Amino acid sequence: MEVHHSLGSSTDWIVMVVYFIVIMGFGSYFSKYNRTTTDFFFGGRRFAWWLIAMSIVATGVGSHSFIKYSAKGFEAGFSSTMTYMNDWFFVPFFIFGWLPIIVYTKIRSIPEYFEKRFSPSTRFLATILLLLYMIGYVGIGFLTMGKAILPLLPPEFTIFGIHFEITLMGLIVVIALIVGVYITYGGQTAVIFTDLIQGFVLIFAGMLVFFLGIDYIGGFGLFWELLPTTWKLPLANFNNPPGFNFVGIFWQDGIAGSVGFLFMNMGLVMRFMATKSVDEGRKAATFNILFMLPLSAIVVGNAGWIGKAISTINPSIVPPDTNPDNIFVVVANVISHPGVFGFVMAALTAALMSTVDTLLNATAAVYINDVHRPAKKWLARKVKSIKEEDKQELFAARIATALFTIMGVLAVIPFSAFPTVYEAHGYFHSTLTPPLVVAIFLGVFWKKFTNAAVIATFVVGVALMVLGMYYPRPLIEVFAHGTAYDPAHPYTYIGALYNLFVCVFVGVITALTRKQQVSLVKKIKSNPNHKSIVSGITFLSGAFFVMIIFNVASLPILMILSILMLIFVVISANYYSKYSEETHTEGLTVWGLAKAKEMFKGSKVNETDGEVIKVNWKLVNSSEDLMCFSQNDMKKMSANPGDLVYISDARKILGGLKSVHSTFGKPHNEDGIVYITQEQIDQGQFVAGKILTAEKEM
Amino acid sequence: MNNFFEVWGSFIYLYLVGGIFFFSGMYIIKKSGALNTKRKSHKFWLKTLYGGFLFFFSIHFLSIIAALYL
Repeated sequence: MEVHHSLGSSTDWIVMVVYFIVIMGFGSYFSKYNRTTTDFFFGGRRFAWWLIAMSIVATGVGSHSFIKYSAKGFEAGFSSTMTYMNDWFFVPFFIFGWLPIIVYTKIRSIPEYFEKRFSPSTRFLATILLLLYMIGYVGIGFLTMGKAILPLLPPEFTIFGIHFEITLMGLIVVIALIVGVYITYGGQTAVIFTDLIQGFVLIFAGMLVFFLGIDYIGGFGLFWELLPTTWKLPLANFNNPPGFNFVGIFWQDGIAGSVGFLFMNMGLVMRFMATKSVDEGRKAATFNILFMLPLSAIVVGNAGWIGKAISTINPSIVPPDTNPDNIFVVVANVISHPGVFGFVMAALTAALMSTVDTLLNATAAVYINDVHRPAKKWLARKVKSIKEEDKQELFAARIATALFTIMGVLAVIPFSAFPTVYEAHGYFHSTLTPPLVVAIFLGVFWKKFTNAAVIATFVVGVALMVLGMYYPRPLIEVFAHGTAYDPAHPYTYIGALYNLFVCVFVGVITALTRKQQVSLVKKIKSNPNHKSIVSGITFLSGAFFVMIIFNVASLPILMILSILMLIFVVISANYYSKYSEETHTEGLTVWGLAKAKEMFKGSKVNETDGEVIKVNWKLVNSSEDLMCFSQNDMKKMSANPGDLVYISDARKILGGLKSVHSTFGKPHNEDGIVYITQEQIDQGQFVAGKILTAEKEM
Repeated sequence: MNNFFEVWGSFIYLYLVGGIFFFSGMYIIKKSGALNTKRKSHKFWLKTLYGGFLFFFSIHFLSIIAALYL
């Protein structure tokens, strides 16, 4: 394969450096909005839908997409857009199921949901899986950034007499240092605002590449003519070739990937947590999937299509054997003038940075919420004031971000062994998402899904997935839809279907046999040696798990061990954890959303529609988190004391940056005035003399 | 490329299997009351959800027609 180096000119480098300084300066400005860990991680739950939607574009599209989909576009044509066009199937589940639950349960991380819905031990397992997933994602981000920037650099250089060879890993370490410093300083608000700018810039840059490319080729008519019919089809061939086929991509990206990205990518989930309300989150998700994803599909894949067309007309300019992971950079260089290429590359690398910084911020959030706080509680440290506590956690969050950056760099090592980022990401998705995806999905939408079932999904599901990796031929072949067996990468994509199946199977079978499990555990408990029996069973299930992971026996034996492990894990889970179908589902599944809303508010929900009003503010001396409006203004908003209120700077352009949530207090008689406290002014960062808008939440 | 299955097989599978997920999602959110069709704002979301499905179906359908005949 052709390897490229030293692409671009000094003008391009100047444009890139200036772009980065501007964008980092812009983001850093918003670090002043980080007063608490809530601000650092969630941006204070205050933003308008459009701000979040653009931020999601930068995060989603930036995530390795330019490199990955251009590579597939170069190899397979328009079907590279497949992954961007199949998220709609899960939108009902997301916007009316998972989204209201994550907001109304006030969870700060996905593992926290697992504790509320199931048990602390489930939270522990979910934390491990989620951290692995997110560190892997960071690794993919770093790998992509390295592959994007490497073609711009010379193979080696000498500075002050010292000779440096530029390697992928060396470059990634430098990138990680820059990203780590930036995110450690800025926090979520900085991420959202830099993403807003980058969202626009990268859509513009991607379309610019498309139009410049079409112009370079000689018009859209010629471009269309140059591509063979198979290249113009929006969906790949059903089950061939093994390296890129519809059915495999559907299960890997359309099902495991889409559900994984929507439901368990903490970076994305935290974006939705930063919206001011559930309805704003729905708007952000819908707008993004309906309008931005089809546009993004063209933006991220077109360099590959253009590259294919140019390679057909003039193979000396874009050789057909160009490394697919380099095609975006190569095409952008061919069709752009100096400076424009720098701008496109700056947009690409900045977009990739968006993804990585989002993920690092989210990983640190998971660490603080699910490792740091529970560990501190466990160690029973002395209780500090909220401010002291927050300061300490903010510091711990910054340290954690730095550590996860290092772990992300280390994760690059296994991923760099794959031929392209697409394959690496595909493998990563199909192996790490299924257990969590299945657990979240069944937990949210099926009341009968129990604690033992979710633990079995995590433990036995993972073990069966590992068996699938060792024995793809007999195990995954059944699910292969006729896809040919490739010994180098056996069932690369369709493996996701097998993985999903085994996790669902284990979860469902365990949930459906709850009665039998309970009576079996009762019998064990009636034995005077019940503690020793269950300890032995738990130890054995651990031993079986290790035996399966290290593939120490033949498939039939390992399958028998899996079945025994399932029985043992289920007995242990039922024995050690207290699980009640009533208390562990109340307000925690889609079937109890009304209750969840009531629990969120703390009293009966007021669903009457009211007006959004404009008010001036007056400072009052109070320590209570209440806001007082006039009686007439309360009537306009259809609000009663005790209802929830959202108040924001009236300038819509701010998208809710200066805003705060509170509760209606006793009304007064000064129309058009809201009485607020110093703490609320500080939280909302309201400016004296600026008008505010107020609306009843519920 | 004239093979019907090669051209349309993926499309049919996408909307058949994907459709099962989508419509079971619609059923669950309606049945559970998460989507309350009596509320005005939820009526908007109901239309948006079905409209979105039709939108993507049309994009894929028309793209295949364009690839084959234009």
